[in-house]
Amino acid sequence: MGTSITSWDDVSAYFTFADNPLALALFALGASAIVVWLIVSIIRHENAAFDAHKK
Amino acid sequence: METTPTLESLQAQLNAQQAVFEMHQAMNVEVFYWWCTAIMIMIHAGFLAYEMGASRSKNALAAGIKNILAVAVIIPTFYLFGWWIYNAFPGGFIPQDASAALPWAKSMGPDVKDMGTGIFWAAFALFGATTGSILSGAVIERIRVSAFLILTVFLGSAIWILAGAWGWHPDGWLLTDLGYHDVGASGVVHAVAGFFTLGVLMNLGPRKGKFIDGIAQTIAPHSLPMTLIGLMMIIFGFFGFLGGCIIFNGGDTGWTTIYNTPTNLSAFAFNTLMGFAGGIIGCYLATRDPFWTMSGGLVGIISVAAGLDLYDPALAFIIAAVMGVVAVQFAKLLERYGIDDAVGAVAVHGFTGAVAVILVGVFAAGTPNVDNPAISFAGQLIGALVMILVGFVPGYALSLLLKSANLLRVPEACEEIGIDEVEILAKPYPEASTPASRPSDVPNKLANTDLQGA
Repeated sequence: MGTSITSWDDVSAYFTFADNPLALALFALGASAIVVWLIVSIIRHENAAFDAHKK
Repeated sequence: METTPTLESLQAQLNAQQAVFEMHQAMNVEVFYWWCTAIMIMIHAGFLAYEMGASRSKNALAAGIKNILAVAVIIPTFYLFGWWIYNAFPGGFIPQDASAALPWAKSMGPDVKDMGTGIFWAAFALFGATTGSILSGAVIERIRVSAFLILTVFLGSAIWILAGAWGWHPDGWLLTDLGYHDVGASGVVHAVAGFFTLGVLMNLGPRKGKFIDGIAQTIAPHSLPMTLIGLMMIIFGFFGFLGGCIIFNGGDTGWTTIYNTPTNLSAFAFNTLMGFAGGIIGCYLATRDPFWTMSGGLVGIISVAAGLDLYDPALAFIIAAVMGVVAVQFAKLLERYGIDDAVGAVAVHGFTGAVAVILVGVFAAGTPNVDNPAISFAGQLIGALVMILVGFVPGYALSLLLKSANLLRVPEACEEIGIDEVEILAKPYPEASTPASRPSDVPNKLANTDLQGA
């Protein structure tokens, strides 16, 4: 579905969705979201863990 | 029957051989940086062992998980915006067109005709991961993992690479205006990371019990041997790092520095090893302490890295030995001001890195650049100050922001119990309380022949 080539003749960038900047931007956004979500999830985990060990 | 070669057929054969040669040359470039990148992973194995060992056992896994996640967040963020920053900001704070380095560009992925971008991006991403990890050891045992990750993303994927754009990029203003020379990243990586760390430490505060009535106490590492081995692994990884700092050119140019001046791996080999040895001796003489003696290897390499291509090896050895002594004094000075740097990162990386940049201006002033001003003391001094500020200001500001949101430091109760118990939910040594003399429940098959073959 995502291939950007139909033949190996005179190929340059050949990775999935290379010819679709919008899709690449969406994937970049998705990758950013994973990093942000990781940090948010750690903050939430920490808050819950700290609450459970309050003096 | 043999045909007589014509001029055209000979030319065709020559062109074919030339094409094969150029392809293999491009592949050699890729192979070289591929292995530099792989060797740099050893830096992270080293940081992992070093920081877990430097922690008390109640915080060992929290220190380790920080290191693992640091690499995992810096690599994608360096892809998403770090590489773009390097290419967009060589002129200062105003970006130039670098759309080819954006994550949705065609050039930022597998390309049959591009045998450079990916491998250079990878080496730089690992430089970034190294830079981000320099912060990691200093803040152990009291920083929140989340806060560390936010800070390390800024440091490893934005701050240092901005300094890299200024001091490493062929169009970087420090080079074009001042002739700045920092081939082994003493300034753009180590000084930036070290002074970023200082800014964070000022807001983070010392570990509980580090200072009693203002007097610094020793908080002993739970595994000094693991720390020493980790440091030696970092030294191994440094050879990948420094190899990645040299440019493997196509054509008949050969090796050059990032400033396009001629050099070779032999030059780097002389001074990396002499610096390594000198630093160890300097730190040993200053402390007699195993941790600092091994850290001296890092001090030594960092102290000569900026001029790795230029120094007389004996001079590099002397610089490294002297810096080994001086860096220890700087670490003591920081403690006197109430800064708790658990692994001496500010002294080893920040102070040593900045001085290393200045020393190039002392010993190698007048060395010409290619189409840029010659190396000068003033240029190096200004460059070092820029690196200090580029590191310190955002480190201080970001950590202050996190502190004001109560997101920087673990609560006191957590610090007392240990972060592993509270947050990591795992124990580094679950059987540590089991006496060694306790009889084993598992039969010893070698000692009990009746059980063999049962």
